[in-house]
Amino acid sequence: MVTSSESAVKLMGVAKRYADVVAVDYVDLDVKQGEIFGLLGPNGSGKSTLLKMILGLVKPDSGSVNVLGIRAEENPVAIKAQVGYVPEVPRLYEFLTGIEYLDFTADLYGVSPAEKRERINEYLEALELEGREGDMISAYSLGMTQKVTLISAFIHKPKLLLLDEPLNGLDPRSARIIKDLLRELASKGVTTIMSTHILEIAQAMCDRIAIMYEGRLLAIGNMEELREKARLPESNLEEIFLTLTGTSDVRAVVEALMK
Amino acid sequence: MKWKNVLRLISIDIKSGRLIRGQRLRRYRESRALHYVMYGGSCLLGIAIGWLVGTVYNGLPDPNVREMLLLGAKSLFISAPTLVLTYSLIFTMMSQIQRAGIKSSIQPPYWLPITWGEHTLASILANLIGIQLAALIFIVSAMSVVSVFLGEVSLAALTIFALLAIAFVASATTEIFRVLQVRLTGAVYKSSGKAAIWVRFFGSILLFVVFYVVYFYFTSGANYAAILEALASGQKILWFIPYIWPGMALFYFTNGQIVETIVFSLGSVAFLSALFAVAVKLNSRFGLYEPPAIRVSVGAYAPRVGLWGRLGFSLSEAAIMRKDFKAFTRRRELMYFFVLPIAIIVSMIMPLMRTGQAGTLVPQELLFFSALILLMPGALMAIMLGSMIIGQEGAPVWHLYSSPITVESLVKCKYAFVVIFSCAVTLACGTVGIIIIRPSLRMIFAALIESIFLIVSLSAVSLRAGIKGADFVEIPRPRMIRPLEAIINFIICLILAGVILAPLIPYAGAMMGFLNPLPQFYLYVALAISGAAAAIVTYGFYRIALKNAKDFLAEAET
Repeated sequence: MVTSSESAVKLMGVAKRYADVVAVDYVDLDVKQGEIFGLLGPNGSGKSTLLKMILGLVKPDSGSVNVLGIRAEENPVAIKAQVGYVPEVPRLYEFLTGIEYLDFTADLYGVSPAEKRERINEYLEALELEGREGDMISAYSLGMTQKVTLISAFIHKPKLLLLDEPLNGLDPRSARIIKDLLRELASKGVTTIMSTHILEIAQAMCDRIAIMYEGRLLAIGNMEELREKARLPESNLEEIFLTLTGTSDVRAVVEALMK
Repeated sequence: MKWKNVLRLISIDIKSGRLIRGQRLRRYRESRALHYVMYGGSCLLGIAIGWLVGTVYNGLPDPNVREMLLLGAKSLFISAPTLVLTYSLIFTMMSQIQRAGIKSSIQPPYWLPITWGEHTLASILANLIGIQLAALIFIVSAMSVVSVFLGEVSLAALTIFALLAIAFVASATTEIFRVLQVRLTGAVYKSSGKAAIWVRFFGSILLFVVFYVVYFYFTSGANYAAILEALASGQKILWFIPYIWPGMALFYFTNGQIVETIVFSLGSVAFLSALFAVAVKLNSRFGLYEPPAIRVSVGAYAPRVGLWGRLGFSLSEAAIMRKDFKAFTRRRELMYFFVLPIAIIVSMIMPLMRTGQAGTLVPQELLFFSALILLMPGALMAIMLGSMIIGQEGAPVWHLYSSPITVESLVKCKYAFVVIFSCAVTLACGTVGIIIIRPSLRMIFAALIESIFLIVSLSAVSLRAGIKGADFVEIPRPRMIRPLEAIINFIICLILAGVILAPLIPYAGAMMGFLNPLPQFYLYVALAISGAAAAIVTYGFYRIALKNAKDFLAEAET
């Protein structure tokens, strides 16, 4: 990890409500440059909303969002130009072919034709999409769609990656490539904030992890710090997560279902 | 067959319109009674009209007139099944054409314990729900009441059975057509390769145009009395076509030929059953068939600058325009845009072609048709396209939100696309119109200039509405713009089009002979004033569109 002391993302007192639902409840967060930061939490805990706030897709009701030294409300376009984003459910233009879609996103980010050609071909080869890039996206499987979305997030060499369930649907080889790639990018100063439900991946990959619950940050830190917080030495992330979120009644629930 | 499963599936189909009606998604509640208002209203209206007609009939003093009316009513009863067949076929096919653009297909959940028979029956019946069912309820209730006054209850009862059967036959035919069409499309994709895109594009346009021209032809200016007469008397000649067997049974029933009545009634039931069996068989064979992927490009990827790039648009602007162009040539639900102007032209020109009048139009007609054909398609396209160009993005709109696109770039490329596309439509439709109607050069010149003024200004007006009222709901079908915003925009466009065209009204009046002849230069003065009005409208609404786009990009979350 080449973590810089400079912040890549800094949230201060950020809150967001949807009618009577509190999505994000006054969150403070400081993610350093070159860090791989994991965002965990049960469904509806506010992870995706937080990611969208960082990208400027959701305007916070209060608080400030600072990304790569730019205030989100001041120049969202400048932030977007430096961010690669993979949404939780990537809805792509299904009438385009894979290659047309990548060409389109590269142009949106202003990648030059020569660079575009080189990078697209490299990624297609690496993720074994060669031969299917000319097919319409409507015919792609979940994994192929995810690969195309990931390539489109990497194509403009972003300084910050916001990835919501990035390995969703990927085959083991492609998942491994993406994990190694994120590590390599982190070593070159690229920051990654990823939201995932696969705790093994978060534990193996992330330098620091934040656990969200009902819009609040319950805990934040590396594995050791989280173990201390949960008072569970030697335990894995799953046990920590269940303890901290108060959802460790799993056994009782299963027994009730088996009745 | 489990009838409860059929009812459950029909109920799912009815609910499929929830999202398009813009209901709120959280704590969802809806009034079930509202679903039945239309059918209840049709029934009450039918009873009222039946009672009214019956009362008038009973009150007629002249027995000859009563006899004539009774004969007319019998003709109506006999021909009703064939009329209902035609309308049901048109409406059920129209419904299927609309469904072709549905994002999330209403496919049978094949992993659930539902048989193909249940699925097919539900699909056939669900396809009748809506206007068709309301019309059927209206006809049936009116016939039931009026038959009591006419003393023809048994004929009415048989007619009602025939109508229900024929509506089912029409819907089953559409179901068969739908399944076959999916399979045929798959075969065409597979054998066409890269050309499949264009085969699909032109094939869809041709299908829509033929369908709509038939529809317009049938619904506008049809002589219903002549149709009834022809159907009532002509059915007998076409006895070998099973679709008219219910009408034949009624015909023989009124003539008192019981054996023939029974034969054609049983034949109708057999035909209905056979159609249903074929529909079930086809559904079980091809119901889950997925057309193969269309492979558009092969070989190594090599980026190109493209036409838009050469025209001076930035990389991101050109990318959005290229993507939009592909959307309009590849998305079936957007192909309607091409159909409307073509259908207008064809339906307007057809009567001229039929009567051989095209070359001999009087000045008034010439002016009217030239104006319609040269002005209307482009202007309509600008209004429709402008108001939907943002909403057509659908769920993938997150690309616009998350990409570094400026407000100015977004509005510029969307506006340019609408204008260029509408001009191309004007050019294509105008060329056809000029060849057929042969207006003077002066008229062509004036109409084309005005068409451009309308396109440039109405595109800006509609784009403003399209951004403000953008609707990204995609299920069950893309809505693209909120209905109220679309209506308001259409009214504004009509008013502004009137303002822009107003300076030419005296010139048109003089040409038609309503006003004294005007000097030659008046046309140029009128065009200049019209151009100035268009420029003001364009500038004003383009500025508003920019403001709307700023709000749109800032409020991505909604």
